[in-house]
Amino acid sequence: MSAAPLISLRGIAKRFGTHQALHGIDLDVEAGSVVVLIGPSGSGKSTLIRCINGLVRPDEGMLHVAGSPVDIHHERAWQRMRTEVGMVFQDYALFPHLTVLRNMTITPERRRGIPRAKAEEEARALLTRVGLAHKALDYPSALSGGQQQRVAIVRALAMRPKAILFDEPTSALDPETIGSVLDVMKDLAREGTTMVVVTHEMGFAREVADRVVFMAEGRIVEEGPPDALFGAPRHERTRAFLSSIRSFGEAVHG
Amino acid sequence: MEFDFAYLTAQWPALMRGLWLTVQVSALSIVLSILVGVLGAAVRVLQVPVLDKLVVGYVEFIRNTPLLAQLFFIFYGLPGLGLRLSLFWSGVLCLTLWAGAYQIENVRGGLETVGKGLREAAFSLGLSPWRFFRLVAAPMAIRVGLPSMLNTSISLLKNSSYLQAIGLAELTYVAIDRISMDFRTIEMFAAICVIYLLLVLTLSFLASRLEYRLNAPFRL
Ligand SMILES: Nc1ncnc2c1ncn2[C@@H]1O[C@H](COP(=O)(O)OP(=O)(O)O)[C@@H](O)[C@H]1O
Ligand SMILES: [Mg+2]
Repeated sequence: MSAAPLISLRGIAKRFGTHQALHGIDLDVEAGSVVVLIGPSGSGKSTLIRCINGLVRPDEGMLHVAGSPVDIHHERAWQRMRTEVGMVFQDYALFPHLTVLRNMTITPERRRGIPRAKAEEEARALLTRVGLAHKALDYPSALSGGQQQRVAIVRALAMRPKAILFDEPTSALDPETIGSVLDVMKDLAREGTTMVVVTHEMGFAREVADRVVFMAEGRIVEEGPPDALFGAPRHERTRAFLSSIRSFGEAVHG
Repeated sequence: MEFDFAYLTAQWPALMRGLWLTVQVSALSIVLSILVGVLGAAVRVLQVPVLDKLVVGYVEFIRNTPLLAQLFFIFYGLPGLGLRLSLFWSGVLCLTLWAGAYQIENVRGGLETVGKGLREAAFSLGLSPWRFFRLVAAPMAIRVGLPSMLNTSISLLKNSSYLQAIGLAELTYVAIDRISMDFRTIEMFAAICVIYLLLVLTLSFLASRLEYRLNAPFRL
C-alpha cells in the first residue's frame, strides 16, 4: 500500500457495563474513499463510528487520523481532532434556536477563527450546492426532514473536515426525501470526500462504496468491494443478513 | 374614618422614592440571580468537580432556611466576619442569593430539555463542553425555563419588601414608616399593594415580550 490511510483503527474495544460492544476492531479508511458499514441492529455500528470521533471513548486500541495518533484518553485530543472529522446524525441535530446560516457559521467562526463575513459567504455557497440557498435565514423548524439533513451535511462540510462520518443519515426520513439526501452524499463521494457511512441503503452502498464492511456482535465479519460482498458473501452470517434485508426490501417495495 | 385620597397625594413623593429603591434593588437582583442561575446550572450540568457539591449545598441551604434569617445573617452576621456592606448592597446580596438558588433549578429544568443529540452534534463540530453550554444549551434552556424564571423573579420582587426589616428605605419601609407617624393604615397598605401589583404586571409583560422573541425560531 502506498500512502498511509486517512483513518486507521487498531484493536478498538468498547465495553458498556458487562456488555462488550466492540471486540478489537481494525479498520483502515483511505483518503478519498467511501466505506459503508452494514450489520444488524445492535451489532456495534454506531458505537464504532462514534469511536472514530470520540463521542464514545474506546477503552483500548489505537486511532490515527491523517497520520497523527489520537490520545484516546484525553478529551482535549478529541476536541482537536473533531474539527478534522465531521459527523452527520440520524436526527439531523440542527441547533433549533439558530437560523440555517448561523448553524453553519457558528463553529467555523468560534472554532476555526474564520471571520463572520467569510464564513457566511462559504455557507451560502454550500447551501446553493444542495439547493437550499433560499432557506439560509429560516429556522430549522421551517424545513422538512430531508432539507434539515442536507443542512446538517453542509454544516459538517463548513468545518472543512478531512472526513465525514454518517450514522444512518436517511433512517428518520420520509421515503420521498431520502433520495435528495443520498444525491448529496453521492455528489460528495464523486468529489473524493472521505466518508464512513452506516446505512441500510444497499443501493447507495453498491453505487458509491469502495468497501463495504459487515459487522455482527461487535466484530467485523467480512469486508470487501460491494460487488464481492453483495455478490458472493463468504460468511453464512453475511448471507443471512443480506437475504433478511432483501426480503424486507421486497416487502416494502412490493 | 374614610379613605383619604388627599393624604395619599401628599405622601406620593415619599412613596415614589421608596418605589424607585424597590425597582433598583429588584432589577439588579433579578439580573444577578439569573447570572447565578446560569453559572450554577452550568457547574451542575458539566459536573465540575467540588464546585458542583458546593452548588448543591448552597441550593439546599437557601431553600430550607427562612429568607428573613438569611437577611439578618447577611446584614448582622457578615460584618462580624469582616465583610461590611451598605444597606443597599446587603439587600441586593440577600435577594440575589435567595433567588439565585431557585434560578439554578429553573435553568437546570430547562437544560434537561436540551437533548443528548444536540450535545453530540456540538461536540462533533469541535465545540468544547463550555462553548456548547454557552452557545446552545443556555439559550435554549432560558427559553424553556422562562416561565419558572419569571415566577422566581416575581417572588424576588415581592420579597424585596422584607428588606424593610434591615431599614432599607424601599416601598414597604416607607409605608410602615408613615403609618407609624400618621396611622393611615388602610390608605398606605392599599397604595403599596396596588403599586406592587403594577410592578408584577409590568415584569410579566416584559417577560412575555422576551418569550415571544425567544420563541421566534420555533414559530412556523
Ligand atoms: N451508551 C450505551 N450504554 C449501554 N449500552 C450501549 C450504549 N450504546 C450502545 N450500547 C449497546 O451496544 C451494542 C451496540 O450498539 P450500537 O453500536 O448502537 O449498535 P448499532 O448501531 O449497530 O445498532 C448494543 O447492544 C447496545 O445496546
Ligand atoms: Mg446505530
